[in-house]
Amino acid sequence: MKYRKGWIVLLVLAILTPIGIIAAGGAWGEWDLDGVEERAGFVPEGMRASAKGAIESPLKEYTVPGLDGSFFHEGLGTIITAIVGAGATALFAFAVARIAGHGRIS
Amino acid sequence: MHIPDGYLSPQSAGALYVLSAPLWALSLRAIRRSLDQRRVALLSLLSAFSFLVMMFNIPLPGGTTGHAAGSVLIAILVGPWAALMAVTLALGVQALFFGDGGLLALGANAFNIGFAMPFAGYLVFRLLKGGAGPGDRRFAIAAAAGGYVGINIAAFLVAVELGIQPILHHLPDGTPLYAPFALGVTIPAMVIPHLVIAGAAEAILTGGVAAFLGKYHPELFEKGSGAPR
Repeated sequence: MKYRKGWIVLLVLAILTPIGIIAAGGAWGEWDLDGVEERAGFVPEGMRASAKGAIESPLKEYTVPGLDGSFFHEGLGTIITAIVGAGATALFAFAVARIAGHGRIS
Repeated sequence: MHIPDGYLSPQSAGALYVLSAPLWALSLRAIRRSLDQRRVALLSLLSAFSFLVMMFNIPLPGGTTGHAAGSVLIAILVGPWAALMAVTLALGVQALFFGDGGLLALGANAFNIGFAMPFAGYLVFRLLKGGAGPGDRRFAIAAAAGGYVGINIAAFLVAVELGIQPILHHLPDGTPLYAPFALGVTIPAMVIPHLVIAGAAEAILTGGVAAFLGKYHPELFEKGSGAPR
């Protein structure tokens, strides 16, 4: 496999991703509606309307349904989402590079 | 850093898609024209790398969290245009699969993290690198500086895009319709933690990996890398 060491590094990173969920608090400006209300004192109308139509992914916020309740379970869920997400990203990148004209890749 | 849906008005989100769309087209063209076929696997690997790096949240002053993105490192390896595609795909998967960043806001997020960040960072890298080559101390320091500047440019853009929402879209009495905080709030809230902590993380990542690869795998930076010289 090409860049074998690189892919191994990515696998190690994926296994380490539970470290990334230890940090307390979320990113600034990425709150849900409750979080917005807490900080701004109200929920802007456009924001509420946008949330209504939204479809929630089953893997929302890098969690796997059923894997919760303990750091071990959540961590396992995080690792699964990391592998799924990184794998999907890599496949999309392959596909796009092919569409862009690298169709002769064997 | 990943703007969720609902924070930008549909008009703002649309405008940023309009801005990003031709950049994506140019990115595809650059990949076709200058990315060595043998390096398609590297582009794919780096795209997945960007996805994973953004999962490592670090605590920032003010009780929030942030993360590095890897955009500038990718630009140094495969060129900023290919970096735009690699990071856009990572952002797309984050939005689509994990609700991290909005789908309507993908044009904005790709512009900030996929375009402005690697291009600004790459420019700084090229300016500071001078004649240094992979493995040189100056090469790694230039990469670190590029990472630092790049992520801060992205954070600043996010702050501006959020902060102009109350000016652009509000009820007659002034109540904001979308992201509710003014520029005076968004800019310090986004920029200060990135200047202090997240920028340092991006600098260490970019400079560290550039130093390591420069020493042990300098061929990754050589001609045919797709990176414009």
